[in-house]
Amino acid sequence: MTKGDGRLSSLKPRLILAAMGPGLVAALAGADAGGVATYSNAGALFGFMQLWTVPVMCFLLIVAQETAARMGCVTGKGLASLIREQFGVRLSAVAMLALLVSNTTVTLSEFAGIASALALFDVPVYVSVPVAALAIWLLTMSGSYRRIEKVLLAIACVFVTYIVAGVMVGPNWGDALLHTVVPHVEATPRYLSLLVASVGTAIAPWMLFLAQSNVVEKNARAEDLPYQRIDTVTGAVAASVISWFIILTTGAVLHPAGVVVSGAEDAAAALAPLVGDYAEALFGAGLTGASFLAACVLPGITSSAICEAFGWERGADRSWAEAPAYRGIITGVIAISAVVVMLPNVNLFGIMMVAQVINGVLLPVLLVFMVLIASDKHVMGRFANGRVWNALTWFTIVAVTVLTVIMFVMQAMGL
Amino acid sequence: MIYLSQLLGNPVLDADGEKVGTVSDLGIATGEVFPRITSLAFMGPGRTPIMISWRKFVDTYDENEVHLKVIATDLRFSYLQPDEVLLARDILNKQIVDTHGMRVVRVNDLKLSDTSSTQLRLLGAEVGARGLLRSLHPALERVALRVCRTFGHPLPEKIIAWSYMDLVERDLSNVKLSVSHKTLDDMHPADIADIIERLDPRLRGQVFAQLDDEQRAGAMAEFDDDAMAAELMGNLTETDASRMLSEMDPDDAAELVSELDYDKAEKLLRLMGVQEQRAIRQLLGYRENTAGRIMTSEVASISETATVADAVELLRGLDEDFESVRYVYLTDEDGKLSGVVTLNALIVAPAETRLSELATEDLVTASPEDDQEDVAEDIAKYNLLAMPVVNDEGRLLGIVTVDDALDVLEEEHAEDLRVAGGAEGDDSGRASALIWLVRRNAWVALWALGVVAVALAVGGRLGLQETLAVSVPLAVALVLADDSVSYVTNFFLENDPDDEDSPSMIGFTFRGIGIGAVLGALVALIVLALESVMASPAVPTIEASLEGLGAALTTGGVAAAVSTFLSFALTPIYLAVLRNRDANNKETSGFTLSAVAMIVAVVVFTLVVLVAL
Repeated sequence: MTKGDGRLSSLKPRLILAAMGPGLVAALAGADAGGVATYSNAGALFGFMQLWTVPVMCFLLIVAQETAARMGCVTGKGLASLIREQFGVRLSAVAMLALLVSNTTVTLSEFAGIASALALFDVPVYVSVPVAALAIWLLTMSGSYRRIEKVLLAIACVFVTYIVAGVMVGPNWGDALLHTVVPHVEATPRYLSLLVASVGTAIAPWMLFLAQSNVVEKNARAEDLPYQRIDTVTGAVAASVISWFIILTTGAVLHPAGVVVSGAEDAAAALAPLVGDYAEALFGAGLTGASFLAACVLPGITSSAICEAFGWERGADRSWAEAPAYRGIITGVIAISAVVVMLPNVNLFGIMMVAQVINGVLLPVLLVFMVLIASDKHVMGRFANGRVWNALTWFTIVAVTVLTVIMFVMQAMGL
Repeated sequence: MIYLSQLLGNPVLDADGEKVGTVSDLGIATGEVFPRITSLAFMGPGRTPIMISWRKFVDTYDENEVHLKVIATDLRFSYLQPDEVLLARDILNKQIVDTHGMRVVRVNDLKLSDTSSTQLRLLGAEVGARGLLRSLHPALERVALRVCRTFGHPLPEKIIAWSYMDLVERDLSNVKLSVSHKTLDDMHPADIADIIERLDPRLRGQVFAQLDDEQRAGAMAEFDDDAMAAELMGNLTETDASRMLSEMDPDDAAELVSELDYDKAEKLLRLMGVQEQRAIRQLLGYRENTAGRIMTSEVASISETATVADAVELLRGLDEDFESVRYVYLTDEDGKLSGVVTLNALIVAPAETRLSELATEDLVTASPEDDQEDVAEDIAKYNLLAMPVVNDEGRLLGIVTVDDALDVLEEEHAEDLRVAGGAEGDDSGRASALIWLVRRNAWVALWALGVVAVALAVGGRLGLQETLAVSVPLAVALVLADDSVSYVTNFFLENDPDDEDSPSMIGFTFRGIGIGAVLGALVALIVLALESVMASPAVPTIEASLEGLGAALTTGGVAAAVSTFLSFALTPIYLAVLRNRDANNKETSGFTLSAVAMIVAVVVFTLVVLVAL
């Protein structure tokens, strides 16, 4: 990586295993509502044509996550703190606004995920969403979601079945591998918006904040960097393997059948060759677990980052009187998400997709802050970004921005 | 008034009105209550940072520009002095500790003195919403002010004076500060501990390292979180850590050392003085949660033949950091504890009085193996300030002081609350009230679960109406299962297994089975009665089509009766689990226990229904 001080031979195996936890957790939580919706759509609409994005995203995700973790290790501060201290009030307000919007839309998509997953079991939106919102609110406010984290993760592991399902459907492996290595671009708004959504869901802004705050909470030092890097890489690879198989399975099952994924039941159909009639139940359970987990994490991360930037008290152990802003923001994010999902006649799967596009559009804003701080020698000392890392991050920023602009222009022109 | 946010970025003009750069920072001399601005830093042409003396070169300044007294070529550059602090670099946007309000805050702006006087001084750091709004845009602040005034809520500035600031990120300990500067060091160790707990882990270490040995030792003893205390100690160098341990009371030090891993603890102990080391090792020899672990070996003791004057002499000769003395203990010629003299008695009595005349010989003592809770309760019962701990031969080993006893009681109280299913932690927000309600009514959720379980288990052999009818008595069984756990926890809290008066396990088992049988029978009878009443022709409102439902209700009633009986018959197991965990110092939540009991009830109920059908 940027500084070649990670000599694997000198690392202790026990510590490597211990370090691998958080990244894998984040990876599984990353296979949330938005992720499943985006990848299912990619597979259903374009078959294997978007498989090539997976390794690229995986690599860019490693770059971004490694930078965030390195910043946490070196400075011992959260990303929001660093942005505030380096760029002052005005620019951190911009960054926090971007984060707030992006995370609120992701939370929204998680609620949409819960609603559409439970709709598979015939639970109406007006029942599932208020109950879920109340439960999530209580869990976040009391900080006790960590206790059920493992249960939700276990449920979310259902998505690992995509790997089995992918093998079972017996796709044309040569074809799949070819499309994984050879990029293919179609100049249609649909293809481009799906591409932006893929970026947004693979490298979500909240992941950067979560990665850095995990490191800061653990008080990992610069000398712990090799372990953090192992964690980052294993997490990113695990997430990418899952997303690759989702695209593969949907591409092999739904694309030839010409199914357009417009709801959870369509997406679930991809698992039918493996589990038959239980596809909807399995898919529904997995989607509920993953979305619920992410919805528990997101409001807390958002609120914590904003309070950190503006110096307000934060933490689940502070009361309303002590930390009104922290609790207020969490409540607001959850309430807005729940209400929007319950609006009559909204397309739940559409919400999940749009949220990922918004995420993708806002990602460059936060990446710019990150890359500027990470390459600042005053802050990062000898751990500042190397040339390759800077180039890759800027490439991501420019690429996503260009894609977004083209996407909007094409949509405006009605192509 | 002028604010730093208004000065930064302004053009710097020389005597000819030529622009030489833009303001980037101000330096202050740290030695005063309202520090003078001593230097001006500005970004010269080509982004070269330049620093000049404020007093020598600055002529006038306002919100728009800074005028210098001389032309650009006459400027003499200066360097930052060790006692100077740069406002924008070191304070603005940074976290500081408000040592007056005892909080950690972030600086939004810095307030400077009036522009009319030639001397510009720092008045304080603005940490409130107004500074935030002003930094965003001054117009925002004005709008917010007007809006707030309309609603009758003036928006005051939140200013922290320089003298009440502690810069957590910059160590000012080697800078000579004015006497009035209140830093973290001057606060009470308990308050320091509170503040440190609110910082990010890395900052915690840095701030902690800035404290002196005595403050460190004090704060360390006050941390609520033992793991955090151990981690902070891990960040210190070994010599620092061992010095701090020596400074702490031996009992607090022993508690901390017991949190460390063996190698580290050994290393630190070896670096300590012989005497302190022995004291700590001795305490560590006792089991956790015993009187031996929490006692301090720093005791004032003297031979019983001594006089008051000797005792006073002994007290005068004690170290400064000796545990505060409440009693002087007397020993006989064999070294056994023979009496105790209160400090009051010593002060009042004439100097030549023999101590044995003043002594209370009716002593309440503890053995080092005694449970800490019992010792604490005895201290409360006998109104003592300290209780002597003696070994089997009656030799004085140390004392348990009242402050340690209070900690023990507080700890045990919290544990009891948790077992009783009360609130956890000290969070008293609205959310926790809701959580409390949810927990109290968990049986509703489990009942719903039970209905689904029964429906799945009977697998279509019953219709929807019958399934529901079967499940109605389950609600009663669940509430009773919940009660059975309350019954256990109450018994657990009220009775100590080591107490001879408390009922035996066998007695408890029989009582549980008895209560279960009676309650089970009662449930079955009530359900049967209900069914008969509804089915009887005397109640004409119900159709004759009840038959199937009636049978279903009866089945449910029987199942509920069996499940209730089992809930109470199982109480001895719950009690054994509770006691076992308590003996191993594991905490048990009453809620988890009742959840388990209710799940068992659902399973039993479903099984019985299956058998009955």
